[in-house]
Amino acid sequence: MSAGADADADIVAEHEALIQFLYLAPVGLVQAGMDGAIAMINPISAQLLMPLAPQACLNNLFDALEGVAPELRHLCAAFAPPSGMICEGRQIVLRQDSRDRLKRGTPEVLSISLLKLDAGRLMAVIADITEQVRRERQLKHTDAWLNAILTNISDYALVGLDQDGQISAWNETIGRVTRFGPDVVGQPYSVFFPDGATTDARQFDRLREAFADGWNLEEGPRQRADGTQFWGSAMISPLPERGALKEGEPDSAYCMILRDISDKHAASASVRSATYSDHLTGVSNRRAFFDAANQELERRRVSPRATSLVVFDADHLKALNEQYGTAGGDQVLRELAALLRATFRDVDVVARMGGKQFAVLLPSTDSAGAFAFAERVRAQVTARPATLKGTTIAYTVSAGVAEMDDATSDLAALMARAEHAVRQAKLDGRNRVAGQAAPHFNPPAAPPPHAASPL
Amino acid sequence: MSAPLFSFDTPGLGPQLAAMSDAELDSLEFGVIGFDADTTVCRYNKLESTEAGLSPQRVLNQPLFTNVAPCMNNFMVAQRFEDAADQGSLLDATIDYVLTLRMRPVKVALRLIAVPGAAVRYVLVRRQK
Repeated sequence: MSAGADADADIVAEHEALIQFLYLAPVGLVQAGMDGAIAMINPISAQLLMPLAPQACLNNLFDALEGVAPELRHLCAAFAPPSGMICEGRQIVLRQDSRDRLKRGTPEVLSISLLKLDAGRLMAVIADITEQVRRERQLKHTDAWLNAILTNISDYALVGLDQDGQISAWNETIGRVTRFGPDVVGQPYSVFFPDGATTDARQFDRLREAFADGWNLEEGPRQRADGTQFWGSAMISPLPERGALKEGEPDSAYCMILRDISDKHAASASVRSATYSDHLTGVSNRRAFFDAANQELERRRVSPRATSLVVFDADHLKALNEQYGTAGGDQVLRELAALLRATFRDVDVVARMGGKQFAVLLPSTDSAGAFAFAERVRAQVTARPATLKGTTIAYTVSAGVAEMDDATSDLAALMARAEHAVRQAKLDGRNRVAGQAAPHFNPPAAPPPHAASPL
Repeated sequence: MSAPLFSFDTPGLGPQLAAMSDAELDSLEFGVIGFDADTTVCRYNKLESTEAGLSPQRVLNQPLFTNVAPCMNNFMVAQRFEDAADQGSLLDATIDYVLTLRMRPVKVALRLIAVPGAAVRYVLVRRQK
């Protein structure tokens, strides 16, 4: 044997060892083009990706993940730097369907990291993090339970929900806290919300977030069967294993603990108000608006739905200030804010953005629906002038409507479009609504107060 | 030369594979992986070895679904063998699949064979044209 042949044999053996190293790496590795076309892929990737799209032949990473993470394609296309981490450890929730759970070992949550190597190449790392998420969920679950127990509470309702958020069983705690009887079974848990305080999409958001994070905690107005309201705190947790909350009850997918914290809410209301409310008008301030609006847009990204924004701007406020004094201008803003609060739903975020400008974010509402709300406000303003110490102050308002779409990158871009529409309304002579849907929209002759939300 | 005696699609191939010598398996025009009740690989033919780029000594006596073909460790493949074993039923099914032979996605047909009472179960691999 020559030394050369030995060296060749060594290289062959080394090559084989490297191949096996990649075959056995317990994490998915994919190299692809920026369009997702797969150049190299290891077996764990196939193990994880094949069940997602059995028809896809793993030629394209984005195609394989289209059904569970359609945003990845856009994320990569929108990543401008020549190289770098596009996303790191991004969680992809695959399923929360009990039928799929029966397939043992089927992943429920994947994590994906995408690294842009250069203009033409991506590396992806894909891992099954189901167990990790489950452990974290258990920990958070425990924490949330402890919080619920350690907080001084007088009473709570323990409500089992099925995977669609419908109440799966009645018990006496539900009767005590909400006064609903056994016929509440089968209804969605939105039955505990006053009209306009939630949307179908928001109800599913909470279930999805509870599933992904282990729990979801939210405070807000709630309504009893007799129509009286209270300030409620609701924690939703997915049940680790589907089962009955109590012996003999049907199985539940989620457990919701609903507490009446009206007393506690009143005590902390002033602190909350100082932090999140506009001092003049009492509606949300910019901080609260951006928190809530960004959260809603993030939810929209995860679960696409119509989302609209309306910007209102009081007309000629400077002139009103000169004529009636700043107290007059302030009164106009206060009454406009009150009218906005009364016209929009509880689920909408009404905020004063500064000066004479207000913004309203409308979840699960398209531009036609937003346009209708805005038009109703505009019409009511002309019909109901402000009053200050017996003086009547007539004023008008202009509004701009924009609906979120794929071409709009973020909240700032959506704001810019709505503000542009307001400027257009001003240019067109004020006291009008401009923006998306305007050309096609015919305002109803007499809009009913609180028309059904456009879901 | 005569046509090969056994093709990928030959009905009732399970018992016939069991009767073949290693040399006969090597002459087949499709990949053959045989594994026992513990999923330990006990047969690995030449074509499969060439396609995967792994010599038999790296594969034989290794657990199939964790150390040899982790890409098949899901409900589409591994689970079907488990279910057949649990129920003591015959498994002879052909599915479309993608293997990552030498890290390239390769469209294949997999034939999954488990005959109740037989010591060795088989995954057959044929490249799709």
